[in-house]
Amino acid sequence: MANTEPYRTPNESNDTPVKLELRDTSVSFSMDRGESRVLDSVSMEVYDGEILGVVGESGSGKSMFASAMLDAIEAPGELTGEVVYHTGDGETVSVLDLSPSELRTLRWESIAMVFQGSHSSWNPTMSIRGHFNETLSYHDFDVGAGMDRANRLLSELYLDPERVLESYPHELSGGMKQRALIALSLILKPDVLVMDEPTAALDLLMQRSIIALLDAIQDEYDLTLVFITHDIELVADLADRLAVMYAFEIIEAGPADHVLLDSSHPYTRSLVNSTPNLETPIEKMQPIPGEAPDPVNVPTGCSYSPRCQLADERCRTEDPPMIDAGNAHESACHYVEHVDEEIPLSITDVTVQ
Amino acid sequence: MKWLYKRLMQFVITVFVVMTLSFGLVRFMPGGPMDYIRAQALANAGTGTTRTLVLETSREALGFTPDAPLHVQYFNYITDILMGDLGISIANDEPVSAIIAEALPWTLFLMVLSMTIMFVGAIVIGAFMAYRESGRLDTGLTSIFAVLNSTPYYIVALLLLSYMAFELNWFPKRGRVAPFIEPGFTVEFIYSALYHATLPVISIVITGIGGIALQMRGNAIQILGEDYLHVGRLRGIPERRLTYRYVARNAILPMYTQFMIKLGTMFGGAVVLEQIFTYQGIGKYMFEAISMRDYPLMMGCFLVITLAVVTGVFIADMTYGLIDPRISTGGESNESF
Amino acid sequence: MSRSEGSSPFTTVSDVELNDRERIARWLEQSVFAPARVLLSDWRGIVGALIVFAYILAGTVGVWLIPEPVQNQAPREAVWFQSMEYILGADHMGRSLVSLIVHGTPTILKMILAGAVFTTVMATTVGMLSGYKGGRVDTILSTVMDVFITIPGLPLVIVLATMFEPKNVYLIGILVTINTWAGLARSIRSQVLTIRGEYYVEVSRTMGVPIRTILKDDILPNILPYVFINFVLAGRRVIFSSVALYFLGILPRVGSHWGVILNTAYSNGALYTSSLRYWIIVPVATIVVLSYGLFILSQAADRLFNVRLRAKHESTSEETTGMPAD
Repeated sequence: MANTEPYRTPNESNDTPVKLELRDTSVSFSMDRGESRVLDSVSMEVYDGEILGVVGESGSGKSMFASAMLDAIEAPGELTGEVVYHTGDGETVSVLDLSPSELRTLRWESIAMVFQGSHSSWNPTMSIRGHFNETLSYHDFDVGAGMDRANRLLSELYLDPERVLESYPHELSGGMKQRALIALSLILKPDVLVMDEPTAALDLLMQRSIIALLDAIQDEYDLTLVFITHDIELVADLADRLAVMYAFEIIEAGPADHVLLDSSHPYTRSLVNSTPNLETPIEKMQPIPGEAPDPVNVPTGCSYSPRCQLADERCRTEDPPMIDAGNAHESACHYVEHVDEEIPLSITDVTVQ
Repeated sequence: MKWLYKRLMQFVITVFVVMTLSFGLVRFMPGGPMDYIRAQALANAGTGTTRTLVLETSREALGFTPDAPLHVQYFNYITDILMGDLGISIANDEPVSAIIAEALPWTLFLMVLSMTIMFVGAIVIGAFMAYRESGRLDTGLTSIFAVLNSTPYYIVALLLLSYMAFELNWFPKRGRVAPFIEPGFTVEFIYSALYHATLPVISIVITGIGGIALQMRGNAIQILGEDYLHVGRLRGIPERRLTYRYVARNAILPMYTQFMIKLGTMFGGAVVLEQIFTYQGIGKYMFEAISMRDYPLMMGCFLVITLAVVTGVFIADMTYGLIDPRISTGGESNESF
Repeated sequence: MSRSEGSSPFTTVSDVELNDRERIARWLEQSVFAPARVLLSDWRGIVGALIVFAYILAGTVGVWLIPEPVQNQAPREAVWFQSMEYILGADHMGRSLVSLIVHGTPTILKMILAGAVFTTVMATTVGMLSGYKGGRVDTILSTVMDVFITIPGLPLVIVLATMFEPKNVYLIGILVTINTWAGLARSIRSQVLTIRGEYYVEVSRTMGVPIRTILKDDILPNILPYVFINFVLAGRRVIFSSVALYFLGILPRVGSHWGVILNTAYSNGALYTSSLRYWIIVPVATIVVLSYGLFILSQAADRLFNVRLRAKHESTSEETTGMPAD
């Protein structure tokens, strides 16, 4: 991945700098059954000012991918490899080498995160204001100015700042808590916001409206956004680029439109085909047969080979590298060229009609 | 405010239920106080004046006159109680309220001391166990607590008294303070009171602390795995604040139910405990009243013990509502199906 | 999720084809064998069950094997471990303590049974009704529960015992747990409150399934392990309270009871006389061991309850690997 030409969104200059990158990053847990690799040598760049969508089934390692960016893997898990943050004025920071106090500054001041399940991200016995307050004061920010910013952020997220700040978490609805959480994550003006399934527990309408808000906020605050979800359709319109995870690896990455409409990995194609879509006739929807692999026991060769209809002997023995599929789009499949004919995308049918 | 009103109503209702129950027991129980007083009056008086004597005795002792209409009896009974008149003790020939006023502070002293030591200790121990989950300290304490928790407090009291007081002579065998000490805020008096309270307090604390500590441990372990703690850490909240403001507070708050239940069991247990240690508190008086069939004193003690617990629960309720934001604003759905 | 068949129009074909015997076998498997296996997979479950079983054995078979306590069957105040005939010693009337303990066991067991059944049935009924119905029913029942919770149990029991002088063992069992049900009812109520909002209960309600069926089929199975734990704990409470009342001499004596042994030992000065201490220790140990057995059994059952919660959690969460991978 590292040696491919960076993708450029049409409205940006030719040399969009990299903001954050993972280099050969792994997360492993040792278990009784053996070592469990829940993130397997992943390399990925996030460009300044882009929205990167990361899509994967549950259990594909996408949450680990998110946590790795802030060096936030919890105790028994072990994070190896490199995480590099580019400050924007030419400096690079190796996140995994930071001292605890430097890491404390980096988190939330440079890279912030929004978790899935907004209800569990708030301390139930502390008011929303308390959360904003403590975050500002423990980072030595001016609390007065910070609270003004909080007010502005909350209003921009269509919340009534006074009411929300005085409330306790249980007094807010799921959507309100989630939006307030987004405001909280932006309170220290980070450059990067990593969102792990931020809309998972919300209804469809609320999901949509949060996506729309994110789009607006990203523009206004000049944010780099990493949006992690299992719902490829949800992120399709929002993201500039998409990365698809399968079995703890990234198996395809590229411009969102390409990945979605011209996927070059059999898994992505099946994923797109199995996604419910208003336009897709129900009889065309195909669930992917088989199950995602166990992290202790990932198949040899291509990890998708047991479920792949294209798989042959080569796939079962030889792990495919990322192969350039053109247009800054790459894919970890030996048969990138044949995927098109073998697995037609149902979504293109609709476009054709 | 609605919540406050609800709590207040609850308190008032409970108080009335207790008083009504007490009235009902005294008034209608066959072989109960009424019959007893009648028999007493008969024994005391010769002939002729029996009726007036019965009426007088019962009015004095129980707070109502049996020949008045029922609602009047009830009204008199309640108003007497509310004005602090609990009748006259038959055995001691003294107002019940005076006896109780003298005894209650001692029982409160025992209970408050035990409760404080028990809860503070349990919270600290439970938190320690949670932070060292599955360590040696944790597993060791868990098994010790399982045994202690299976032992009734009065059995520990008996054993302590038998060994520590009678066999080893380390602690006083009976009483509230050493004889001939002037009551007052003197070092001597306070020391003596604490010395006499040691064994009763220990019996309550060591049998009760385990259950509470285990609950605290469970709560803390659960909260240590909560997302908001993880998020708080990422937000750069220092560990100290996380420990106190996040873990401790959220783990301690649910202990409130335990506190409420313990309050009742402990005050109730005073009857047994004070009897064992010959500790002249309200429980001991209640027990003596029972053995002497001194109904006014018995019911007075019952009422006061119950009201003390009800009031304690009410105060705890109010405080809890102030500390835990989730309570006062409701939140539980009460939609009817 | 323990959904019942039969009540739902969505029953699958295979369920309909089940005959009665298969249905009973399946019920046994689900409600008896499977929980028993979980219970016995833990040392606490095994030890606890063994202890309880031993007491039941003593209270049933034991009373046939061990001679009844009679005066002068042993030397008066015989110390323990002196003779095989009265191995645990004898009281001031020369009654063997073993006989007294064993013949007191049926009384205790009956009291435990009565108290625990009363507590759990009462609590489950009131708690489920209050939690499920909501509205005014809930307000009234909640008030009743709160009143009972706040009134301290022992003084009330003492007053009632003094006035009623109950002589029936079952009645005494119920009497000493007169307000224990309220606390349990309240926690069942709050659990039902959570369950009733669940999707599958809502489905049943929308389809017009009668409340009784919903309570029985949808809600009860979910709280059953919890009820079981509290059945065991209520039993413990019966022991604690009844022994206390007999020890104080407040309850009229019915047959032999461990608390009565404690009472006679106490009034004969066993507390101050070190040579008589066995007389206190024997009934104390009898009480503590049974209570400990019940306690660890309830702890093992707690796992049963939590296993269910966990299983439920896993099936509803998206987690497939059981790992913190996502």
